[in-house]
Amino acid sequence: MNNPEEKEITFVMPFGPQHPASGHFNAMITCAGENVVDLKAYPGYLHRGFEKLMEYRTHVQNTMLSDRVCILDPFSNEMAYVHAAEISSGVEAPERAKYIRAIMAELGRILSHLTWIGIMSSALGLESGAKIAWGDREKIIRLNEVITGGRLYPCYFMPGGVRDDITGDMAGEISRVLDTLEDKGKLYDDFVFFNTTFTTRTNGIGVINAEDAVALGATGPTLRATGMGSDVRKDEPYDAYPCVDLEIVTMEKGDAYSRSMVRRGEIAASISLIRQLLQKMPAGDFKVKWPMTKKVPPGETYFCCEAARGELCFHMVSDGTDKPYRVKIRGPSFSLALAVFPYLSRGVQIADIPAIYWSLDPCPADMDR
Amino acid sequence: MPEDIAAALASRFGESVSDLILGERSILFKAEKDAFHEALSLLKTLGFEHLSDVSVVDYMSEGEFEVVYHLWSHARKERATQKVRIPRESPAIDSVVDLWPGAQIHEREAHELFGIRFEGNPDLSPLFLEDWKEIPPFRKDFDTRAYVKKRYEADE
Repeated sequence: MNNPEEKEITFVMPFGPQHPASGHFNAMITCAGENVVDLKAYPGYLHRGFEKLMEYRTHVQNTMLSDRVCILDPFSNEMAYVHAAEISSGVEAPERAKYIRAIMAELGRILSHLTWIGIMSSALGLESGAKIAWGDREKIIRLNEVITGGRLYPCYFMPGGVRDDITGDMAGEISRVLDTLEDKGKLYDDFVFFNTTFTTRTNGIGVINAEDAVALGATGPTLRATGMGSDVRKDEPYDAYPCVDLEIVTMEKGDAYSRSMVRRGEIAASISLIRQLLQKMPAGDFKVKWPMTKKVPPGETYFCCEAARGELCFHMVSDGTDKPYRVKIRGPSFSLALAVFPYLSRGVQIADIPAIYWSLDPCPADMDR
Repeated sequence: MPEDIAAALASRFGESVSDLILGERSILFKAEKDAFHEALSLLKTLGFEHLSDVSVVDYMSEGEFEVVYHLWSHARKERATQKVRIPRESPAIDSVVDLWPGAQIHEREAHELFGIRFEGNPDLSPLFLEDWKEIPPFRKDFDTRAYVKKRYEADE
């Protein structure tokens, strides 16, 4: 049909905040026909004000709150909080606790990436990939339950160590789950990463170069997919990371496919890390004494760790009491969803929006806090 | 150690830069309000191209806000932290969007939660709160517990 009277219609379309589309996150997309002219992000559906709530609670109570900042990656948030508290008070965790924390943080990374495979596949219409990934995710969740007592919110890291030891057959159980995941690698490749639907819908989509990514505050797999080998675990190693051989996965193209392949590589890298950590884990204490109302001397700390989504930092100001004076959380998703996502969306086809959004793997809980 | 940065800051800004603390791979200092933007600009040209976070601390008893810029250099693998104090009454400060485009959302958040105006930021509309009529909620004089009690008991 060739009608000269017909003009291109501009309209505004919502993306989210219904959960299956975007998580609890809303974006308003201005479209001209199929093309995205502009995208505005509207977060806030999960704003709970944790940073303020932490000012009313002691450090031990706050570890429990820090979990809830991002349900998909709880160990990283605990890691950053307990380190900030420990550095503020000059306490160092015992060697064994450092290894246990690193093991759990890496399990958390695999957990988060498996969840992401599920959501990303689902967003692209590959439901089988979603089912397989979420099935395997359950294996790690059960492992969490065995080791920490909690499935999704472990509350396991404490200032001064961890709450409980890894004992009995727990290490064996971890190894068995890792073996299963490793065996499944081929299955994921067939169903997801080298599946034609997946490759055609992500290849060359949402391309960002290293310079723009840095300027907008991108970190983690998004930045590593542009060829930058930036990783807090390597740049400012904490806990047991200095003692193990860490592989940083990078890709060159900076598109949605590269970001996906970085996460694919990171699952394998984390499996190898956990094996090394289990092998080298020393015997001994798993925590030092940290009273419930321990007073922390005045001062301030900025501690960063590498979460599954990128650089996660806690800025903690203490005033000499048992509660922090101020806590500021720098979540990796904040920059990814509110700066990088609108930037990548301008000028693309509307059907590419879910692929771009989920290739960044933002966590709305983490961006709102 | 980032001694070269400390030297560059001292030679250019003199007394406008104070309380310098050098770490193994970090530098922390305070800047006066009239020099803070230039100091950040200098840090950026020295390689601190990643703005990790903009954080605000409310020192109510001193009548001041402290705006803290956390920077990271991918090339040098070092952290820099710059602090600047502004009065708590009608707080305003220049935006750093011209240096780091990613600062836009961090400043927007600080504007919403502390009420600080960032001159030059193109969009300071609220991010999280809907129809908020109280004082900015992350200030020290905002009592979360009293607010929750008032808000939700009124609903019952």
